Amino acid sequence: MSDVLNKDLRRQMVDMVVAGKDGHIPSAFSIVDIITHIYALELKIDPKNPDAPDRDYFVLSKGHGCLALYVNLHRHGFITDQDIADFCKKGGILGEHPDMTKVAGAEASTGSLGHGLSFSLGIALGHKVKGMDNKLFVLIGDGESHEGTVWEAAHIAANHRLKNLTVIVDWNRSGMQLLPEDDLPAKWRAFGWHTTVIDGHDPDQIAAAFAAIKSKDTDRPSVIVANTVKGKGVAMLEGHGRWHHRIPNDEEYAEIMGALI
Amino acid sequence: MNAMNVNKSIREQFADTLTDVGQADPDLVVVVGDISHGVLQPFAKACPGRYFNIGILEQTTVSLGAGMARVGLVPVLHTIAPFLIERAFEQIKLDFCYHQLPGNIITVGSAFDYSNLGCTHHCYNDFALLKTLPNVDITYPGTAVEFDALFRECYRNSKLSYYRVPGTSHGVEFKAADIKPGQGIKVADGSDITLVATGPHLKTARGVRDRLASGGRSAEILYIHTIRPLDVDLVRASIAKTRAVVVIEEHMRSGGLGDEVLRETRDIDTVRFASAAIPDAFVTGYGKYEELCESVGLSVDGVMALIDDQIF
Repeated sequence: MSDVLNKDLRRQMVDMVVAGKDGHIPSAFSIVDIITHIYALELKIDPKNPDAPDRDYFVLSKGHGCLALYVNLHRHGFITDQDIADFCKKGGILGEHPDMTKVAGAEASTGSLGHGLSFSLGIALGHKVKGMDNKLFVLIGDGESHEGTVWEAAHIAANHRLKNLTVIVDWNRSGMQLLPEDDLPAKWRAFGWHTTVIDGHDPDQIAAAFAAIKSKDTDRPSVIVANTVKGKGVAMLEGHGRWHHRIPNDEEYAEIMGALI
Repeated sequence: MNAMNVNKSIREQFADTLTDVGQADPDLVVVVGDISHGVLQPFAKACPGRYFNIGILEQTTVSLGAGMARVGLVPVLHTIAPFLIERAFEQIKLDFCYHQLPGNIITVGSAFDYSNLGCTHHCYNDFALLKTLPNVDITYPGTAVEFDALFRECYRNSKLSYYRVPGTSHGVEFKAADIKPGQGIKVADGSDITLVATGPHLKTARGVRDRLASGGRSAEILYIHTIRPLDVDLVRASIAKTRAVVVIEEHMRSGGLGDEVLRETRDIDTVRFASAAIPDAFVTGYGKYEELCESVGLSVDGVMALIDDQIF
């Protein structure tokens, strides 16, 4: 597992789940590498002024994966050590879904699937109305892509040429457990989006995909369909099954942390 | 402000008011779902880049309206009531209300205005649904003047403001200065019974008052254009005096204005109460709007029969 990125953040997320006695580790491990890249290299943001009108936006529409958002907000100074320590605890601001009303840097309160992209569409269209060119990145799940609102939003964004809007699809095949015939890249292309397919855990492919979006010669919105692995980085967590919402016991904790050294 | 024309429909006024306000306020954005597209062309021309006939996708319409509010714009979302209020209810709940984002929803197709289109195009539970959500004000302008006054007062407040625009006016022209959000209007004094009316049925209440007067009874009429916040003081004062009330509304009995009046006056002793409302059942018949009103007892005869049966 030497090729696994962001082991420190993965360890931090596991500690949060153990301390908070709640959380979805595999969903977060699936997206943490992409989110970490976005926060480190794509967003113009300022923790001292999280609501700055000229900031870029990241919206985590699949709110279940919020641990990966929280550790990045923490790393970049939006939330404190105490906030992290109080995950899922009385009086804390961090629950199992991001809450815009409580958490600086959380751009939407998500959890009910199919809202984040449509909400973000309004932000992107609003910026266009105001003549602003803020970038906006929205991460959705492949299971979430069952929701009709995802395609309502995709339809509008393409027709209104929202070129600053980028969607990242966490294609970890959760949705295909239910509906196995699901060619997501073909769907996005059919909706008229600039579509790229990558390995969502490969740093070079992640960087190249975002670089290609910056230099694209189209005014269409972009989508990165990222092949990902739920639970990526720890063999016992990978795949679909009981680890979706499980808290590690002492023995499991040791094994997980051992894999993330 | 545009000159008021007493013959102007409320929908025409809605279009004129948006055009007028939109020219003065560069943050006003209008998003429609292919409804009122024709009457809103003056807004589209006067406010280029701020008018979107966005498509037939109401859930995303509501969510994107909230997103626009997130960046400081003032969205007005518009289509037929059932599609915005019922279909997109969770989007209203989460994307506007939970986020505490302001905005405006203006609907036509109030209750069974589209009488012959049947259940798919009826919406008589909108008050009930929206009353369950924090951060929503509910208005029901009964004339063009009322729409103009209420919209100008509410459109930039901190709430999600809902305007239920009926196809029929009650025909009483109040002065614009007398229309204040959250304030009911005492239309007529009386001592034997209070008639609380909302929407087009102020006209019904006036007919009932005349009929009662011919029988020697004196009815007080309260007109309510703001369902939430309700003018509780006005309602309580009248009912404490008359100790009898009929609430007349084009809404299902459950969750409507009648329920609200009953709840707010439950501590007043010996009040006789009756609800002239749409029964808690689907309205399945066809015919003219007025004929559907009659079929559910929302007529002078219907309310008089209710009063004879339950009040006097």
